[in-house]
Amino acid sequence: MKDAGALIVDHPIEKPREQGSPPLEAILCTRALQQRSWRSPDYEKENRALVKLMSALADSPGSILQTLADTILEVTDSDSAGLSLLTKDSKTPHVDGNRFYWPAIAGMWNPHVGGGTPRDFGPCGDVLDHNRTLLFTHWERRYPYLGGATPLAEEGLLVPFYVDGKAVGTIWAIMHSDRRKFDAEDDRVMASLGKFASSAYQALMRIEDLKVQVEEREKAEAEVRQLACGLEAKVRRLVDANVVGIVMFTLEGRIRGANDAFLNLVHYNHEDLISGRVDWKDLTPSEWHDRDERAIRELISTGTFQPFEKEYLRKDGSRVPVLVGGTLFAASDHEGVAFIVDLSEQKKAETKLRQSEAFLAQAQQLAKIGSYSWREATDQITWSEQLYRIYEFESGVPITPQLIRTRVHPDDLTLYDRIVQHARNGGGDFESQYRLMMPDRSIKFMHAVVREKRDRDGQLEYVAAVQDVTARRMSEEALDKARTELAHVARVMSLGSMAAAIAHELNQPLAGIVTNASTCQRMLTAASPNVDGALETVRRTIRDANRASEVIRRLRALFAKRESSIEVMDLNEAVEEVIALSLSSLQRNQVTVRAELADHLPTVKGDRIQLQQVILNLLKNGSDAMRAVDDRPRHLTVRTERDQGNRVRLSARDAGVGFEPSVAGRLFESFYTTKQDGMGIGLSVSKTIIESHHGRLWAELNDGPGATFSFSIPSGQEPCREEV
Amino acid sequence: MIQMENHRQGSPDPDRRGSLVSLIAAKPTKSATARPLVTIVDDDESVRESLPDLVRELGFAAQAFSSAGEFLASQCSAETGCLILDIMMPDMSGPELQEELRRRSRHIPIVFITAQTSDALRARMLERGAVECLIKPFSDLALLDALNSALRAN
Repeated sequence: MKDAGALIVDHPIEKPREQGSPPLEAILCTRALQQRSWRSPDYEKENRALVKLMSALADSPGSILQTLADTILEVTDSDSAGLSLLTKDSKTPHVDGNRFYWPAIAGMWNPHVGGGTPRDFGPCGDVLDHNRTLLFTHWERRYPYLGGATPLAEEGLLVPFYVDGKAVGTIWAIMHSDRRKFDAEDDRVMASLGKFASSAYQALMRIEDLKVQVEEREKAEAEVRQLACGLEAKVRRLVDANVVGIVMFTLEGRIRGANDAFLNLVHYNHEDLISGRVDWKDLTPSEWHDRDERAIRELISTGTFQPFEKEYLRKDGSRVPVLVGGTLFAASDHEGVAFIVDLSEQKKAETKLRQSEAFLAQAQQLAKIGSYSWREATDQITWSEQLYRIYEFESGVPITPQLIRTRVHPDDLTLYDRIVQHARNGGGDFESQYRLMMPDRSIKFMHAVVREKRDRDGQLEYVAAVQDVTARRMSEEALDKARTELAHVARVMSLGSMAAAIAHELNQPLAGIVTNASTCQRMLTAASPNVDGALETVRRTIRDANRASEVIRRLRALFAKRESSIEVMDLNEAVEEVIALSLSSLQRNQVTVRAELADHLPTVKGDRIQLQQVILNLLKNGSDAMRAVDDRPRHLTVRTERDQGNRVRLSARDAGVGFEPSVAGRLFESFYTTKQDGMGIGLSVSKTIIESHHGRLWAELNDGPGATFSFSIPSGQEPCREEV
Repeated sequence: MIQMENHRQGSPDPDRRGSLVSLIAAKPTKSATARPLVTIVDDDESVRESLPDLVRELGFAAQAFSSAGEFLASQCSAETGCLILDIMMPDMSGPELQEELRRRSRHIPIVFITAQTSDALRARMLERGAVECLIKPFSDLALLDALNSALRAN
């Protein structure tokens, strides 16, 4: 701040403005300050004034400017006093405004508060331009607009004040009359007061700033509150809608708040919540604690934890599967909010699905059925696990038609290709049977049932179930083999039980041979040899030997295991042979056999040995049935006759014990027997034989005692015309 | 040449030497007495065909019946010196005929013949008083032995 007593340069800066107006020096008389009579400084007055100002500044900074104006007035003993501040735009605080305004005025000019002067054409502007105190007189001569500021200024003393080295305004005192003139002492005091004005200004500025800041903060806070209110209301909607459980939690485990959805999920109520009994750590089963720890770590490091599945324990101890996810509050490092979704239904459905998948897979495994789907256009093939196992491919290997083909049995390749082609042409649903050959050259039998369908895009797709029927086929073959074996065994056994009778059969011709040979010997060694007699014995011998070999031949044929050989045969002949074979055995049991064989019986096509086996069995059966019979003759009648439908019937009627009507159906079952030492194979094997001849075997009770076992088989020719 | 046979069944006879001489010696002479009648009862036709010839060659008279009933019905039972009976026959078996004859107090020595190869059976028959029980096929010597025993016993 320039010292007013220093060199006074009275070379005013000329303003280009207002050409017609008198120059500045016309209204300046600053030199007069030094020229006027010297007054001794009144420091006391000055100090008193300053102290007062300081207190006022401290106590009520809002009215400091007015207090300052009052103080200037008093201290300078002037008619009016006040301040001029250069306007500033708060938006551009470093740019000076273009006006001065009077925020506070004391004295006669008080009514002019709020008025002002232009920056570049007015006394305050001049002071700032010259950067020193100026004393004006009748400034309205240069600045006509100030003519309206009455009372007019006889003298005006203006002092600039600074903030941070920059002039921000002036303080001034005005005399409206000659009562007194401003002097150097006024200049000095004003300078001092100017310093104060600087402080006051700064203080006010600070207050202004603070006010603005506070206003802005309040505005921002209000906005945030508004926002929060609106947001809260919106979020509240979600919480209260109770579509998911929402809780406020702490890392330590507390649940500070929860919506009804959550409470209902875990079966706790509001009292529990309020009393702090609801603690998410307690609600979590122990096996989930590690997972929770991981979530907490995630929460601490990132502020959120991603949704994960876990379980809670309800109040009653039952478990509920849930999905939880959450975040920490912005302002907190240990409190946050989380959502909880009840997964019970999903879990149930998941379990059901998994169970049914496992069930299906298991069923497929048990039944050795694999399934596949085949998109014809793209050859996209999907196989079930079991099908991989059946084909002995590694699970998951991509399946192509070429790959499948490598497993098809070489002899079935043509058939297989035909089936595939048929399918490609949209041949519809089909079944097929084919063989596979595995790498170890073992063979599997396949039975496939394939259904055609169109998918959503109308594309051709096949869905199939393929069963490994190897076991069944093998067992069928084994069964066939076993049946043949069984028939053989039955044959052998039934023959075996007649072993004594058969030995007897052979024995008869042998005994005859021995007797006749002995006779022959004696006849020839007699004194007069009986040659004729000897010849007769020789004849008999030869005949008996032939009989024996015939029996052996038949036996050999019966004992021999062989496949069926079908021939056209006469049933009557067969019956006679069998009767001859078993005659002695029957006679031993005192059974009388009668044969009633029809004349002109049509021939039949069959296996002679097998049918004789059946007849033998029926005879034996009839004979056995009469073993216990004492009160009537043991008659066994074998009858052949024509049957309707171009068939031939044979029946064996006994006079034995018959059978219970209730067991009629079981007589022909394997291993069914009423005999103590019986094996029960005979009738069931007989039934099989007759059925394989497209015939029927059955039993009926007689009108009299005993039963009749019959079979009926197709004849091998057109019905004979009766010979007239 | 005639082979020597050593089929020995029944009790040993000190006179037997298994030689041609004894064979001939055992034959009763035609002139001395009427040949003893041996009656054969067997339902087996080939037995009825062949056995009588052998029996005659052995020096006896022979006749055959096909059943016990036929035999009983005939008048030969009085003249029969020895019976050759088959065991297994329909209607009336050999042992049953034996019983019937005992009932009628006709004590005719019996030689049973059978195809059953059972020692127990043979023992039983002997117990019941048969002279012998021959198992088919039997040799002519064994038959001769049995017939001699039967007729001697008479």
